Amino acid sequence: MIAARKLHVEGRLAEVSLELPTGCLAAVLGPNGAGKSTLLQALAGLLPAEGEVAWRGEDLRRIPYLERARILAWVGQESHADFGFPVREVVAQGRFAYGDDGRGVDEALAAFDLAHLADRAVTRLSGGERRRVFLARALATGAPLQLWDEPTSHLDVRHGLEVLELANGLKAKGATVLMSLHDLRAAQCFDRVLVLHKGACVGSGAPEAVLTPELLLEVFGVRARRDADLILELPR
Amino acid sequence: MSGRGLALLLALLALALLAALVFGEVRLAPGEIWDVLNGHGDATARTILLDFRLPRALVAMAVGAALACSGVLMQSFFRNPLASPGLLGVSSGGALGAVLAFAFGWASTSLWALPLASIAGAFLATVAVIALAREGASTEHLLLAGVALNALFGAGTSFVLTLKAGHFEEGGQILFWLMGGLESRTWEHVWISLPGVVLACLLVLPSARALNLLAMGEQGAQSLGVNVRRLRWELILLSTVLTALATAVGGVVGFVGLIVPHLLRLAFGPDHRRLLPLSMLGGAAFVLACDLVARTMPGQLRLGVVTALAGGPFFLWMLKRGGRS
Amino acid sequence: MRRAFLCLFASVLLAAGMPQRVVSQALGTDELLLALADRGQIAALSHLATDPKFSPVVQEAAAYPRLKDSDAESVLRHRPDLVLMASYTRAETRALLQRSGVRVVVLERFDTFEDLCANARIVGEALGRRARAEQVVAAWRARVDALAARLKRAAPVRVIAPSTYGFLAGRDTTFDDVCRHAGAHNVAAEAGLQGHAPTPSEAMLGWRIDALVISDDERGDIAGRLAELPPYKFLAATKAKRFVRISGPAMASISQARLDAYEQLARALHPERFR
Repeated sequence: MIAARKLHVEGRLAEVSLELPTGCLAAVLGPNGAGKSTLLQALAGLLPAEGEVAWRGEDLRRIPYLERARILAWVGQESHADFGFPVREVVAQGRFAYGDDGRGVDEALAAFDLAHLADRAVTRLSGGERRRVFLARALATGAPLQLWDEPTSHLDVRHGLEVLELANGLKAKGATVLMSLHDLRAAQCFDRVLVLHKGACVGSGAPEAVLTPELLLEVFGVRARRDADLILELPR
Repeated sequence: MSGRGLALLLALLALALLAALVFGEVRLAPGEIWDVLNGHGDATARTILLDFRLPRALVAMAVGAALACSGVLMQSFFRNPLASPGLLGVSSGGALGAVLAFAFGWASTSLWALPLASIAGAFLATVAVIALAREGASTEHLLLAGVALNALFGAGTSFVLTLKAGHFEEGGQILFWLMGGLESRTWEHVWISLPGVVLACLLVLPSARALNLLAMGEQGAQSLGVNVRRLRWELILLSTVLTALATAVGGVVGFVGLIVPHLLRLAFGPDHRRLLPLSMLGGAAFVLACDLVARTMPGQLRLGVVTALAGGPFFLWMLKRGGRS
Repeated sequence: MRRAFLCLFASVLLAAGMPQRVVSQALGTDELLLALADRGQIAALSHLATDPKFSPVVQEAAAYPRLKDSDAESVLRHRPDLVLMASYTRAETRALLQRSGVRVVVLERFDTFEDLCANARIVGEALGRRARAEQVVAAWRARVDALAARLKRAAPVRVIAPSTYGFLAGRDTTFDDVCRHAGAHNVAAEAGLQGHAPTPSEAMLGWRIDALVISDDERGDIAGRLAELPPYKFLAATKAKRFVRISGPAMASISQARLDAYEQLARALHPERFR
């Protein structure tokens, strides 16, 4: 489990605390510029932040890089590539902390529907395909804590739903998955949501308890209305 | 794939080295060369082979390997395939350092003064480029910073030379430092450059895997277990030292750090575990070949002119393609 | 109006007689001007005239004004009625001066002793000092003939003029001319080098060279530097330290100071002929 206390990044994140148990699917919500990416980066130890981050009671940011890479995997919002590595090689980079043993690489490729693109250069993929490559790399690490920054943006409907299903599968295997999202409807089926507004945490808990019409209006500036809706899901 | 590329480039390098020993102003029969290599031969042939052609070839290889390797490292550091020691002004900084060492007589105090001064100048340039264009900087940003630094350091070099060098020497010296050249290279130049270059190249190789990760993004690399801060320091240090050593013995030789890694990436992919050793071999063979052209063509082309003639059009083509490999 | 008329009047007068304000723009023409002109005719000498590094006429030149620089404006400041220049002057300076309406005499050739004599006559003519030019030329010829007499049937010494900047004096250079009059043989010219050509490196090892002629103006220890610089460091003559030092300004002169270079080199290479 991961617990963060009073994570603070000047001007971007104001003393945010959170606690996620093992086997949990959680979402960070909030409008643009609310601090979602900063929170995920701070948790992953990728930017200097005040406060504490503990993994199973241990200060996560004092764990050496290689060991830390076996605990958490992070996927950034940018999925830009300058160098044309083949897809398989990029996914295999997920095994860096394990001496490049190549384990789980094929499974990760298959999980993100990339097997047929395995030999293509990442520079010759579409934005959504490239995003899936980076997600597959994170999956290949087998890390029990997955921090994904807007994994579903740039993805088509089907692949977006698959990502969510995959996250659910990871959770079932005992992983903790925390992702930032813009899709408030998708967030309804998460175990836990955390709403950020101007860097501060304005709500945390089960989605139906947190995402009240009042909060949605105040934070996102939208009026919520429950109605008959078009439901899209993966065919069984 | 990797083995084939390595074998191909080793063969190319061996061929270039052989050509560098065989061809020159004075025609030596294969028998004479064989005699000299076996420790016999007449004095003139010995001097030509062992004191002219061999040290010059070794310096050419050191310069080529250093510049190509340095180019790969800078491209990783800036995550931009157009970054290279010549374009970013690091070579010019090294040349200014070397020229200062000459002008103030430090160069004659110790064998190490010249390369050290060159390294200091190159670091000045590197620090300036990093300040002007951060990692992942746009191509325009990098190139503009490079243009400014090249002009600045080039002017400094010319100024110091006109100020200090003997009147008749100015022209030749400015030409040497600004356009690169390998004429009159001796064993001393081999000792200045080759051991350092070999050492730095060996130190680079273990980082190849981490460089692959870095190439796909800095934060991603760190989250996967790369100590990015340390790696970036290593990159700066080694690429600058390599460029400086090359510049200290060969002047500003442009485009090697750009063309060689780029062509090898096109042929063998961007994996640094292959790219780094291949670039070292390829750079050495490329500069050897260019120097052979420079010294055997009529009209005394300069090495820097030959590499620029080969590299300039190539660079423009890359720029037009958007610099992606 | 009256001023313009006066100017016109003055220039008509001057054109009829000898030039009264002569500016020499190059070192070579400084030498000739000093040798041929009346004191009062000289308006200014070149900007290098008193630089001991280049000028063979430092002392004589000290008495005259000198150009600030070699450009057209520096020349025109002295309101010359005749400008002497050499063909190696920058083309735009020549064009500017010619366009300004001043009479310009450009010396074109300086390779041989005969060229020098011809130049003396050209300048003498322009200065209106034809007779003096003939006297001067005759005196030079006497010196050169005397030298030739001393060196008669002396075996020429094989020399080159090395430089630390990668060039070597071949055929049709002042050095080649100096060799011809000093009982020396320019090996670089023999090897086919034309003008100041890039130094061959490997080929030089096969040349038979008795001595290296260096000018003593170049700063620092040029002999010491040559001893470390390939290809010179591998030459037997370098190893045996057979260097001959000649006055730099004399060696580079395109006028009569070159006669000093003839004599200096001859003395250094054939001391037995000067006892």
